[in-house]
Amino acid sequence: MWGSVAVVALVVIATLIDKGSIGLQLILSGLTVGSIYALVAMGFSIIYSSTRVINFAQGGFSMLGGMLMYSLAVSGKLPMWLAFILAVLIVTALGAGFERVVIRPMKDHSVITVIIVTIGLSIFMTAVAKWTWGTDPVKIASFSGDKPLRLFGASLVPQSLWVFGLTLVAVALVFLFFNRTLLGKGMRAAADNPDAASLVGVSSSTSSLVAWTLAAGLGAAAGVVIAPINFAQYSAGTALGLKGFSAAVLGGLGSAPGAVVGGLVLGVLETITAGYLPSGYKDAVAFVILILVLLVRPQGLLGRPEEVKV
Amino acid sequence: MDKELARPLDTDKRDYRTLMVVGAFILLIPLWAKFIPGDVLHMDIVNLMVLTGVYACAVVGLNLLVGYAGQISLGHAAFFGIGAYTTAILCTHMHWFPTWLGVIAGAVLAGAVGWLVGKPVLRLKGNYLAMATLGLGEIAFILFQQVKGLTGGTVGILDIPPLSIFGLKFDTDLKFFFLIWVVILVLLLVSINLIKSRVGRGLRALHSSEVAADAMGVATGRYKAQVFVLSAAFAGLGGAMFAHFQKYINPESFTLALSILFITMVVVGGMGNIWGGLVGVVILTFLPSVIQALPQWIPGLPHGLSNFSNYELVLYGALLILFMMFMPKGVAFGLSRAADYTEVRARHFRDRQKARKMEGR
Repeated sequence: MWGSVAVVALVVIATLIDKGSIGLQLILSGLTVGSIYALVAMGFSIIYSSTRVINFAQGGFSMLGGMLMYSLAVSGKLPMWLAFILAVLIVTALGAGFERVVIRPMKDHSVITVIIVTIGLSIFMTAVAKWTWGTDPVKIASFSGDKPLRLFGASLVPQSLWVFGLTLVAVALVFLFFNRTLLGKGMRAAADNPDAASLVGVSSSTSSLVAWTLAAGLGAAAGVVIAPINFAQYSAGTALGLKGFSAAVLGGLGSAPGAVVGGLVLGVLETITAGYLPSGYKDAVAFVILILVLLVRPQGLLGRPEEVKV
Repeated sequence: MDKELARPLDTDKRDYRTLMVVGAFILLIPLWAKFIPGDVLHMDIVNLMVLTGVYACAVVGLNLLVGYAGQISLGHAAFFGIGAYTTAILCTHMHWFPTWLGVIAGAVLAGAVGWLVGKPVLRLKGNYLAMATLGLGEIAFILFQQVKGLTGGTVGILDIPPLSIFGLKFDTDLKFFFLIWVVILVLLLVSINLIKSRVGRGLRALHSSEVAADAMGVATGRYKAQVFVLSAAFAGLGGAMFAHFQKYINPESFTLALSILFITMVVVGGMGNIWGGLVGVVILTFLPSVIQALPQWIPGLPHGLSNFSNYELVLYGALLILFMMFMPKGVAFGLSRAADYTEVRARHFRDRQKARKMEGR
């Protein structure tokens, strides 16, 4: 764990020394995408810890958030804040509805079956989005202008601040929920030992519903806030989901702090390597790092080793 | 009746019988497909069956890995791609290179890469293994795109010569159909024998509990690696055939989507059932064409549907969800339950006949 922190710190410092303000620029934009990865990764982690399911539709929630934001704010001409809240609420409701209608009835089936269902949902969402919004990427205005801020010679688009802010708020809320509320603490207990938790009255049905609701909300928020930087497009979910999943595994599946760390590390390393290598290899480097980390720490950076059962 | 059920069903021989029946049925497809005019089916069955066969190579192997050994791979498109690129590069850069040797080289190289990456990666478990294999698949995809000197970058490799074995050229759909399905039947035979062997029993033990299998003296690490290599080689073989059939390849054919499709085929068909993989491939390869043909079959209502460019994918996603909700153990599981049932009924019927005969005497 500390070894990897040291490695990341070394890479960051080396980049700063080598490239100066351009290095800082790379790190800042790395943190921006990293925050988005972190939000998506938290969604993966939350669903995983309460149901053991890898939700392949997680990226789809983000895509849907971005596209709805476009419809509400650009086509519907609603004020930004209202469009934001509505977009997140709609996707959250969809996530909760999907859990009730499809996931809940399948609670007794094997995990891989449910995973295939989420793949089906992801295909379905992408197709519906393509049907509704077409194939062209759409532009959504930044929340507060496009005039870049200067910071030690590096420039930062204001939208990045929104990304950081939203991530901070979301992470804080998730942590408060899991550490301060009865429901959240119950869900952590259930993730630890489902049978014991259900004996003391933690409902696995409620856990699963809350997990899907939270994950959909987090995914949607990430999709909305990144849309002004990345454009929104029907196909955006795949890449985001892939990176979010990678970040969640890198940090340790099922660990919410791990998801945040994994997301930021992945984002920063990815943009830094992009500064040094031909851009085509950018993603390859991210995956090489990921595989290397897993080989050294098979349970991810902050994850706990899985118990071995006979 | 209780005694009837207690007698074990002869599933051992049934697999071989099924193989013969399935083989005969499939190899006869071109015959009856000829008699149905194209404007009734609205799809080219022989062509689709070739594609099915090509994918089946990979899926049969993947089913051994996922269904029997319980190890998930989300990177099998990479092995499929390695097989395809190996033979494509060999046969286009060196025109004298025998194509059949290229196909074998593709399978061997895919297996070798599987062996190389399998050793370290298979130490990971469950979702971590899924992630690592997914990463390998993505790396392979990026290499296919970036190593332009060999792979032709995003354009890929064009004008791949048709497969020919000792002067016999497989240059039409029909010829290729027979070739690929004979290959699949051989692969299925290999798989059936493998499952019935010591290795197969070890794998099943490994699937239900790795620690217990270890404790009982099953060489879990070696078995896992061997099945991984075998499934990689099967996928490579499929990829190589794909390259010669399609005559051009580019990286887009070997994305994560293909790896996911392979796994989906295994699960929809039925994990841990030899026929499951086959059923899954057939269903998911034909599904898009069937959905596309729907407006022609059912006149009147959905003709307007085809104007929406994407209704196929919407339906495809929805059907995938419904399949898993209502047949969570896979389609083949249902079929084999039906086979059990008919076998019990048939035996019952035979015994009654026998009893009646004896009474008569």
